[in-house]
Amino acid sequence: MLALRDLRLEWRGRAGLLSAFSFIAVVLFIMGIAFGPDEANLRRAGPGVLWVALAFAGSMLASRAWALEVENETLDDLLLTPGSREWIYVGKLLFLWLLMIVMGAFLLVLVAAWFYLPLSSWPQLFITLVLGGTGYTVISAFYAGLTVRLRARDVLLYLLVFPMILPVVLAAVKATLGIAFGAEFSEILSWWKLLGVFDVIYLTLCTMLFPGVIEG
Amino acid sequence: MKEALVDVQGVWKRFGRQWVLRDLSLGVEPGEVVALLGPNGVGKTTLLRVIATLIRPQRGTVRLFGKPARALEVERGWIGLVANPPAFYRHLSGEENLEQALALAGRPIGRGRVLEAMERVGLPPGRAVAAYSSGMKKRLALARTLLAGPRLLLLDEPETALDSGGRKELTRVIGEVAREGAVVLATHDRGFAAEVASRSFAMGAEG
Repeated sequence: MLALRDLRLEWRGRAGLLSAFSFIAVVLFIMGIAFGPDEANLRRAGPGVLWVALAFAGSMLASRAWALEVENETLDDLLLTPGSREWIYVGKLLFLWLLMIVMGAFLLVLVAAWFYLPLSSWPQLFITLVLGGTGYTVISAFYAGLTVRLRARDVLLYLLVFPMILPVVLAAVKATLGIAFGAEFSEILSWWKLLGVFDVIYLTLCTMLFPGVIEG
Repeated sequence: MKEALVDVQGVWKRFGRQWVLRDLSLGVEPGEVVALLGPNGVGKTTLLRVIATLIRPQRGTVRLFGKPARALEVERGWIGLVANPPAFYRHLSGEENLEQALALAGRPIGRGRVLEAMERVGLPPGRAVAAYSSGMKKRLALARTLLAGPRLLLLDEPETALDSGGRKELTRVIGEVAREGAVVLATHDRGFAAEVASRSFAMGAEG
C-alpha cells in the first residue's frame, strides 16, 4: 500500500525519476566518450559503467523515497501508522526496488547499445540486475531512512552507503563481466550465490534494526 | 477508578545539551480534554510528540491505553495527531490525502464518506493541497480526525489560522472525541483553553 502510494506521488511529481534518468543518460554519454570508440575497450568497461551508473542513480532514488515525506512533512503521520514499523521500511524498500528494476532494465538496454553488452543473454543479465538491485536497495533504503531527519542527509547517504555496498557492486560487476564474455555458468552462479546471501543477511538485519533508528 | 489513556511518569527529554522536559508527569483519563499551557520553547510540542510515540525520552516511562508506548502496534492507529501546521501530500487533492491516510491505516473508506467529511468542515473537493491556505489545511486535518475517529487526539495549537466557523467545528470535534476518548492540546490561547478544556496543565513559567 505504501509502495503504491509512493509510486503515485512520484508519478505526480516526477522530479526524482526525471533527475535519475537524466543522470544516467549523462553518465553513459560521458563514459561512452571516455572509453570509446574501441569496441574491446567499451565491452570491457560496460559492466562497470552499468553498475556505477545504477549505484549513483539508486542513491538519488533512495534519497527521493524519504524526501517525499520530508518535503510534505508527513514522516510523523507515517510513523503513526498502526502496526509494526518494520513495514514502513518494507514499503519504502519495495517502492525503491520497483524503481531500481525499471531503471536498471532501461540502463541495460542503453549499455547494451553503447557498450556491446550481449542482450541475447538477457535472462542472466536480468537475474544479476534483480540480485544486485535488491542488495543495493536494501542498504540504501535503510540508510536513507536513518539520515532522513538530518540536514546533511544527501552527503551522508553517499558516505554511508557506498562502503556497505562494495561487495554488491563487485559481485554484480563480476557476474555481468562473466555474462558479457561468456564465462562458465558455474562461475556466474557463484557470484549470484554471493549476492543472494548478501541480500538475505542485510534484508534481515535492516528490517530488524529499522524501528529503532527511525524514532527521533 | 478509570484506567488512564495517557500515563507519562518522570519523563526527561533533551535535544543536544538542552533539556526540554525535566521530570515531567501527566495522566489523562478517558473523557478529559487537557490543555498544555506555557510560553514558547517550554516543551509543549515535544511532550505531544513523546505521547504520540514519535520521539523517545531519555528517562521516564510513557504508557498509552494501558501499554508501554514502545509496545504499541495496532493501538498506534487509535492516536490522532494534528501538527502545526498539519502535514499533507501537496501533489494530492484533499480527498486523495484523506483516502490514502485511512487506507494506509488499514481502514479504507469510500469516496462518499470522504466528501461528506470535507463538506462538513467546509472544504470543496478536487483541489490539490498545494493550493490550500493554512486554515484549509487545519480544516482538512479536522476532516481526517472525523473519519479516523481516534481514541486519543493530540492537537498542536489547533486554533491558529482557523476562522470563527473553523473554531466552532474544532470545538465540536474535540467534544466528539472526548465523549469516549481523550484530547491533549497545546495552546497559547488561554481563552480557547478555558472554552474547550476540562483541565489545564501549566508548563514552565506558566502559572
